[in-house]
Amino acid sequence: MPAILEIKDLDKHFGGIHVTNHVNITVERGEMSAIIGPNGAGKTTFFNLITGSIPSDNGRVVYENEDITGTRPEKIVKMGMVRAFQVSSLFLEETVYDNVYLAALSNFGKNIGMFADRLSYRDAREHTEMILVRTGMLGCRDLKASELSHGDQKILDIAIALTLNPKILLLDEPTAGMAPDERVKMMALLEDLHQYFQLTTVFIEHDMDMVFGIAQKIRVLVQGELIAEGTPDHIRNHEAVIEAYLGKEVV
Amino acid sequence: MKSLRQYLPWILYFVFFLGVLAVNPGAHYTHLLARVIIFGLYAVAFNLLFGRTGLVSFGHALFYGIGAYITGMLAKASGPDLFLLYILLGGIGAAIVSVFIGLLSLRLTGMFFTMLTLAFAQLAWGITFKLYNFTGGDDGIQAIPKPAYLTGPVWKYYFFSFVVVTICVFVIWRISRSSFGMVLKGIRQNPGRITFMGLNVYKNQLVAYIISAFFTAIAGGLYAGLDGSIHPDMLHWPTSGNAILMCTIGGMNTFFGPVIGAAILTGLEEIVGKYTEYWSFSIGVVVLVVVLLFPRGLLGIKWPWGRKSTTEEKETEVACNTGD
Repeated sequence: MPAILEIKDLDKHFGGIHVTNHVNITVERGEMSAIIGPNGAGKTTFFNLITGSIPSDNGRVVYENEDITGTRPEKIVKMGMVRAFQVSSLFLEETVYDNVYLAALSNFGKNIGMFADRLSYRDAREHTEMILVRTGMLGCRDLKASELSHGDQKILDIAIALTLNPKILLLDEPTAGMAPDERVKMMALLEDLHQYFQLTTVFIEHDMDMVFGIAQKIRVLVQGELIAEGTPDHIRNHEAVIEAYLGKEVV
Repeated sequence: MKSLRQYLPWILYFVFFLGVLAVNPGAHYTHLLARVIIFGLYAVAFNLLFGRTGLVSFGHALFYGIGAYITGMLAKASGPDLFLLYILLGGIGAAIVSVFIGLLSLRLTGMFFTMLTLAFAQLAWGITFKLYNFTGGDDGIQAIPKPAYLTGPVWKYYFFSFVVVTICVFVIWRISRSSFGMVLKGIRQNPGRITFMGLNVYKNQLVAYIISAFFTAIAGGLYAGLDGSIHPDMLHWPTSGNAILMCTIGGMNTFFGPVIGAAILTGLEEIVGKYTEYWSFSIGVVVLVVVLLFPRGLLGIKWPWGRKSTTEEKETEVACNTGD
């Protein structure tokens, strides 16, 4: 499969700490992959670097054969690389519907209309409803985002990302802080989205059931360095990975 | 039902501001109401930035002053026949200035943005104050002529202001309800997410800033004609502060709240000002009471018959959790 995203020699220091250490990753179109690693391994920083949230010290990010290093984050989103957040990032005073609808306005370029009523765009309305149905949020469309449970807020965060018609979806710990039954729901949702939209999905995760349950490929970051990459079976028996997670003594 | 609630504020607006004409309260109170409605426009224009976008500008006196001075000086210099055009030019002048100030100060966030807008406004105030030959310095400019159709009884100017203000407020209302207005609301709540929706926060803030400056200057221009005089105090920081007070008292998260705030501020000055020159003390008391008891402002109070009942909400939540 052809590559959708190529990260070449990406490097970042925070003061004396080497948070991203010459990372090379190629994401193939249509893959469902996980990034794992102990706390502080630089997983979120890695997402921040490739989505343009923070500038890298060195290295290139090539997306769809185009060098997007240093491109502004909103432009990267428009190009189809969209992320969801570890702590769900919502408009808490707005309804579920409006949270998604605002993303739909952006998706159709209708965000600049100044005199027509905001709800007068049929394509955006239909797109919003489609996303709400797909993510199972239609039942709570009129609730405010602040009234949702933690799990539903995470789903809404992903729904917003999905509304922007991503070609590649980056999810930062989709099940963080979730109860076990919510995790199962999230897993099913991600698998459904991956299949339905043929969506390239890369997610950071600590929950190993989820990682080994749905990822076709796993990448392991430890102290900013990519130490292993491969199928779940390959990673499960990888010595350096076991060492990073369990320590040398045990092995 | 929904559409009635949507237009109810407009109905009340028309009933009140046109009703007073029918009642004919006399020159003094008509003049007072003209001030209310002009300040109302000022507050609504300011609130597009303050309550909507979440940007606390402490320098809107600058745009108010630019509107007043451009309108006043043009009318004084070349006659009042094109008075309406001069008001429009005041708005355009302020919009042009706001592009430069906005480009610079919107680079900063929070308190730093606020302080920079204050600095620009105070700078303009200082210049107006010192540039005696051009602006009349401390004395300002008096006896600004009005066109023939606006001279005579004060209700004429009141009605003129009412028409101009209503058009402007209607335009801002439409903007608030548009998709652009929705983006602004999103910027206030979560600018980071707006960026990751593929939208440029800075550009949208700048457009809001320019629109706000334009309509603020229209209010300033109207005021120049009302009293026929302009003075540097219009650009001084208390004028900027008044905008914040009006929006806070009336309810910064409501559209018409700032108009209520303008009425209260003007009314207090009139009523308490009759008895003591320390009338601004009463504003302090009102702001204190509102902020402590009704932090969402007077129009922001949640009345029991207002929103849907809590039982209704709970039912929907159950539906959400089991629905999928």
